[in-house]
Amino acid sequence: MKNTLWKALGILLLAYVFAITFLVPLGPGLLEFQNVDRVISSATENRSVPEYQLIGYGTHWDEEPDALQVFVKSKSQLAALEVIRVDDATHATIGLTLPYSLPAKSWNVLINHPVDGTLLLENGLFLSDRFIDAQATWPAPSFVEHPGNLGFHFPYQPRIIETIRNLMLHVPLWFTMFLLMGIGFVSSIKLLSNPRNELDDQRAEASVQVGLWFGVLGLLTGSLWARFTWGAWWVDDPQLNGALVTVLVYSGYMVLRQAVEDERLRSRLSAVYNLFAFVILVILLMVLPRFSESLHPGKGGNPGFNTYDLNSALRAVFYPAIVGWMLLGIWMYLVTLRMKRVNRQIELLP
Amino acid sequence: MMFILLQTNPLEGWFIGSGKAYVVVGVACVILIGMAWWLLRAENRLSRMEKLLNSKKNAPSD
Repeated sequence: MKNTLWKALGILLLAYVFAITFLVPLGPGLLEFQNVDRVISSATENRSVPEYQLIGYGTHWDEEPDALQVFVKSKSQLAALEVIRVDDATHATIGLTLPYSLPAKSWNVLINHPVDGTLLLENGLFLSDRFIDAQATWPAPSFVEHPGNLGFHFPYQPRIIETIRNLMLHVPLWFTMFLLMGIGFVSSIKLLSNPRNELDDQRAEASVQVGLWFGVLGLLTGSLWARFTWGAWWVDDPQLNGALVTVLVYSGYMVLRQAVEDERLRSRLSAVYNLFAFVILVILLMVLPRFSESLHPGKGGNPGFNTYDLNSALRAVFYPAIVGWMLLGIWMYLVTLRMKRVNRQIELLP
Repeated sequence: MMFILLQTNPLEGWFIGSGKAYVVVGVACVILIGMAWWLLRAENRLSRMEKLLNSKKNAPSD
């Protein structure tokens, strides 16, 4: 009963993860604040002002259009802009009611809305045609951050947008690979301390065999993610290259096992190789990328998801995903191990 | 549960709004159920083979 329970738990967790990962909506965000090369008469200013279009993602501006507030901010200087009209849920026309003399060229765009809350578009406005006066100031408008009024949703991240769902596949796949390669590492140590224990050799082989599948899937999901967020299927990055080298090193382990015919020599040679392979995995995936510049989150000064945007909604799916994938990996490992033992027994039959 | 979640936060964005999300969940669940079914079948076969091997091992030799 217990033997079936944890397997069912793994499958249920993964079913939950898939459903929530792909069906929970993404929270709102700001995509663009662009000049539309038109000048309009402002209702609040006695002059014509340039017209800008503010584009949101998953926003609800049409629900309470009059409540939409738009601000620009540079350092401590805040200015309110005039909302000319709300075109639809994700588009609004804004009048750039700023003085000619400004303290900076680059400004963050902020919005306040009762449904979407306070949203930020970093460096969303760049004004190259204004006179820059560092001393230019004006009275700050009242601005209170709004928490918003949305249901359960995943956080909006610039550039990542919908692909944040891949977090539930890509990262747990690598964690599961680490776990399986760790089982292989321990089995190899046990084998070297007691070379007659054939079971440890089978354990090491089965764990690496299954772990490699998870590594390949990790590479594929990572490459797909890179295509959407960085614009290329593969970039010359220490984390990505390290992951590929690690998978190749473990593929070498499988090749080595096929190349040696003598059973005792094969088990001992491959155990020693496996120890080095695991050390290489730790160095290439966990140590080296932290000492070099990397596009990958959590490496080389680039903050990981957990430090700034792994919020409670993501955690509610991410942690079950890790447990679910690991349980599936262990189940696959145990089935592979039993297959190897049965094959071995058949070989030994008189 | 999903319907409650979606009611509190209406469909938005191309991914869910276009219905692609349901296709992805469907395909993912079919793959998952397929894998679980394959693993369970493999385990059943292995159990049968292990029993057979044990009985052969314990059988008296001629």
